[in-house]
Amino acid sequence: MNSAVFPDARHAASARLDQCRKGATLRVIGLLPQSLFGSNDEQVGLRLKELGFLPGAQLKVIGFGLFGGDPMAVQINGTKFALRRAEAAKICVEEVTVTGGR
Amino acid sequence: MVGSRLNQTAASIDSGNAPLRFAMIGNPNCGKTSLFNCLTGARAKVANYPGVTVERRSGMISGLANNAELLDLPGTYSLFVTSPDEQVARDFILGNIQGEARPDLLIAVVDATNLRLGLRLVMELRSLNRPLILALNQMDAARKRGITIDTAGLSQDMGIPVIETVAVNSQGVDALKHELDQYTHHQAGDTQRLTLSDRQESVEAIYDKIESLVRAHVTQPANMPRWQDRLDQVVMHPVLGLMVLFSILLVVFQAVFAWATPIADSMDAGFGVLGGLLTQILPAGILREFLVNGIIAGVGGVIVFLPQIILLFLFILLLEDSGYLTRAAFLLDRPMRGLGLSGRSFIPLLSSFACAVPGVMATRTISDPRERFITIMVAPLMTCSARLPVYALIISAFIPRQTVAGIFNLQGLTLFGLYFAGVVSAALVAWVMRRRQTREEFPLLLELPSYRWPMAYHVYIGLRERVWIFMRRVGTIILSLSIILWFLATYPGAPAEATRPAIEYSFAGMLGSWMEPLFAPLGFNWQMCIALIPAMGAREVAVSALATVYAVAGGELALGSALHSSWSLPVAFAYLAWFVYAPQCISTIAVVKRETNSLKSTALFTVYLFGLAYLAAWVTYQISALLIH
Repeated sequence: MNSAVFPDARHAASARLDQCRKGATLRVIGLLPQSLFGSNDEQVGLRLKELGFLPGAQLKVIGFGLFGGDPMAVQINGTKFALRRAEAAKICVEEVTVTGGR
Repeated sequence: MVGSRLNQTAASIDSGNAPLRFAMIGNPNCGKTSLFNCLTGARAKVANYPGVTVERRSGMISGLANNAELLDLPGTYSLFVTSPDEQVARDFILGNIQGEARPDLLIAVVDATNLRLGLRLVMELRSLNRPLILALNQMDAARKRGITIDTAGLSQDMGIPVIETVAVNSQGVDALKHELDQYTHHQAGDTQRLTLSDRQESVEAIYDKIESLVRAHVTQPANMPRWQDRLDQVVMHPVLGLMVLFSILLVVFQAVFAWATPIADSMDAGFGVLGGLLTQILPAGILREFLVNGIIAGVGGVIVFLPQIILLFLFILLLEDSGYLTRAAFLLDRPMRGLGLSGRSFIPLLSSFACAVPGVMATRTISDPRERFITIMVAPLMTCSARLPVYALIISAFIPRQTVAGIFNLQGLTLFGLYFAGVVSAALVAWVMRRRQTREEFPLLLELPSYRWPMAYHVYIGLRERVWIFMRRVGTIILSLSIILWFLATYPGAPAEATRPAIEYSFAGMLGSWMEPLFAPLGFNWQMCIALIPAMGAREVAVSALATVYAVAGGELALGSALHSSWSLPVAFAYLAWFVYAPQCISTIAVVKRETNSLKSTALFTVYLFGLAYLAAWVTYQISALLIH
């Protein structure tokens, strides 16, 4: 249950949230398993969903911490959250508006 | 499926004059506590839940036809919990806490500017089929952002009353009270427990419903106010943000020491005058001795630190209410993770600067048990406000009031250094305890709430609560310890042919001389040893204990000069170092015992801190003695 990095091959532009740059506007495609959370992984996924990280939801990357760009801050449904890279890597996203480059 | 443990007798007793019980539940940062303060006014009571040390804030709601008690539950996102404090909220609602009846009515508080997240919890609560009122809080902020909500329609579609509230404005609060007045009876069979089986609806299905509710009844512009985002670009900037954070902390500590001094000095002078007056009026004798050297020197010596403690709590409350603290947690998460902690441990640790007891209790918001354990272990290394009197006394006696680099005063810098020593030691201890074993990671998932202006009334209530707790300590523990100490220092009196000061013949003198050999390597004299004993009850009593053993009644200045003439500088430094580490104060040890629920951990906690204190004081004494001579 770990090999599927991108569950949905149709989304060519899909990426994991932790790979996205600051200022990007993104749409959630789905949640991926994360082995770092071990047996808690399912619970972490549920909590992410409860906080609004559901397929279709739009979010924006607003910043990164100093050391290793960790944690990152995102805004979803008008609420800002701080996520570590480990959590962000669970969230599969696609870019919504391309504002120059990439 | 309904729980089987019905308890009809308790229910029938309850239905008499017992007050109705309402409970407030909502997301963290939804303004629940401000609303709670408005509903209960001055009458909030802070206690612990039976068996668990989470603060239980309750109060009677004023202006209702029936007596009604309101409870403020810990903030939670979901009934499917991930942290110990969310567990308390859940257990309380379901009636799973021994000795706490289930509430008659739930008031779900939802931040109107953060509707979806709040409504999701309300949907869960609604499925419990309990009386439920929805309070749409922060309506003023929502209107300012151009959000309009059709509350009547929302209420009809959700099947529960919906009230708009603004915590600063009594209108919404009155409407809420009016709605509460409709509930006059206890629910039948109220003591039975609820059971919450697995999720009946998927998260997706709940959000679909919320989406259609929002589409039907809410219009909201897409963007947050721009100043919020601009502020975040600075405050959460990796480099600028850290600079802002350190500047804020420096200002806080500078203010606590420099701004509070004039007030403290005038209070101190007041106690000096009072002592002098009593000395003149009363005839010489045991009563005068008792009042001047026992009560005024003891209690007065501690009360003068009230301005500093108020200032410190004021800053913490302001930073918390404005929404800034979680930004600090965001910035510090990565560095703290290297120590086995996380951004989540930042807030308990910051509270520990005021007092380790609420700090240790606040660790309940940490889901990772290992991280929670480490946070508890290092929380007392954060300099609590009870240490401030001791530091302040010794600093003002030994460190000259000098201006350094134009703006800083040397005393303030020394104080900052002591706080800093505590923080660095906490980092080292956490790092040692971290133990890199292969274990599961826990998520951070921290909400960064919108900035808002702290509400004066809410800050006032919070501050008054803390002042009250401090004054209660002064009136109980500190007063009684002062009396006991005065007694020990006065009896038995010196024999007629005595050549040395009378106190050396007293019980206190004997006690001190027994302890002295143990502390001699640290340079402590017997007076200092004695002061350590009552400081176990409350650290700040060390000040009044010193005042008593040195028989000084003229206030802090007089005590300072007495210390200055009898301690050398290395001794003063060693005493400060002892207080940075020592797990003085029984209440901290007790709360660690309750929170870890383990004798072994508590023993580890006590022994390691005393060991560290001894070592640090010894090293400080030896090194500074070498440097000075």
